[in-house]
Amino acid sequence: MPRIDRMTREITCTLVYDGPARSGKSTNLRYLHGRARPGSRTSVSWSPDLDLLALDAGAVSGFRVRFQLYAVSGEEHRSVTRRMILQGADGVVFVADSQARRVDDNLAGWRALDADLDRRLPRVTQFNKQDLPVGLILAPADLAEVLGDDPGRGVPADALHGSGVFETFDLLSRLVLQQFA
Amino acid sequence: MRTVEPWVERPLTTFLEESSARIAAVLTPSGQVVAQHGFAAAPDLMAAASLAAGIMAATSELSRVIGAPPLRELAYEGHDVGIYLAAIELPGRRWLGLVAYGKDSSLGLVQLFFGELVKDLGRAAPPKPFALAGPAALDPDFEAELDRNLRALFGR
Repeated sequence: MPRIDRMTREITCTLVYDGPARSGKSTNLRYLHGRARPGSRTSVSWSPDLDLLALDAGAVSGFRVRFQLYAVSGEEHRSVTRRMILQGADGVVFVADSQARRVDDNLAGWRALDADLDRRLPRVTQFNKQDLPVGLILAPADLAEVLGDDPGRGVPADALHGSGVFETFDLLSRLVLQQFA
Repeated sequence: MRTVEPWVERPLTTFLEESSARIAAVLTPSGQVVAQHGFAAAPDLMAAASLAAGIMAATSELSRVIGAPPLRELAYEGHDVGIYLAAIELPGRRWLGLVAYGKDSSLGLVQLFFGELVKDLGRAAPPKPFALAGPAALDPDFEAELDRNLRALFGR
């Protein structure tokens, strides 16, 4: 659950970007990092296991809202780190690789997330790499059907060039904070 | 004393009186403060709550890695001050208790009455699994303000 301190009037939310290896999780964070005002990027860390980006979203209803974004490695041998991070998540972005050849990887990642995460937790699916040639990718609706997901809660994206990255973060932020409204 | 959940106040007051503890805080595992007594400043309370939650999380994970049962309590007996940190198991919820005591008390007293505190909280707790109550933090139309802030943050 997001941390709320009513005495200091601060809310801190942990958002985790999960998904198969090389689907674009770190790319999302690096894009957000590059676009954020320098004074609002309170900390950043890039490593093979884990990327961390802390953002200050300013005051909302008199509460200072901070986000901690994690991108966990999709490599199988780093799964212990991944599970530890997911235990503290307040919301999750599943970054799917829209390439048709990666359907099995997406499905494996999706099932792993279902196994490791409380289903009541806010979740957004990002259908990344939608910029690739049509013949090489699945449309968001088709990929959602493969995953068994609701296509209405997904965001098409091209994280490398920033398309859909802000929209994904914005959507998940709203979903996570709705429990405080 | 300050409490988020009113039903916590009486059991915690009783604990403080019987144990002679100087400082006591009831926390969620993520470090959110449910109730506290004795902290003079909010930053001190925040720091203590975060550290206590982190310590319990780290030791619990350590226990899991080495195959030991989950750690339920930690104690430190200094020359002038002692610290006790322990889990509070309630129906549908697990909290943490952080206690600091001086020479007018002892670890044994604190542990004894902490056990009673847990029982009292269990009897006083609402019958259904609960979430921390309190007024809603954000206005119903918070999304517009959030959206403006995020767009300003990212220069959109």
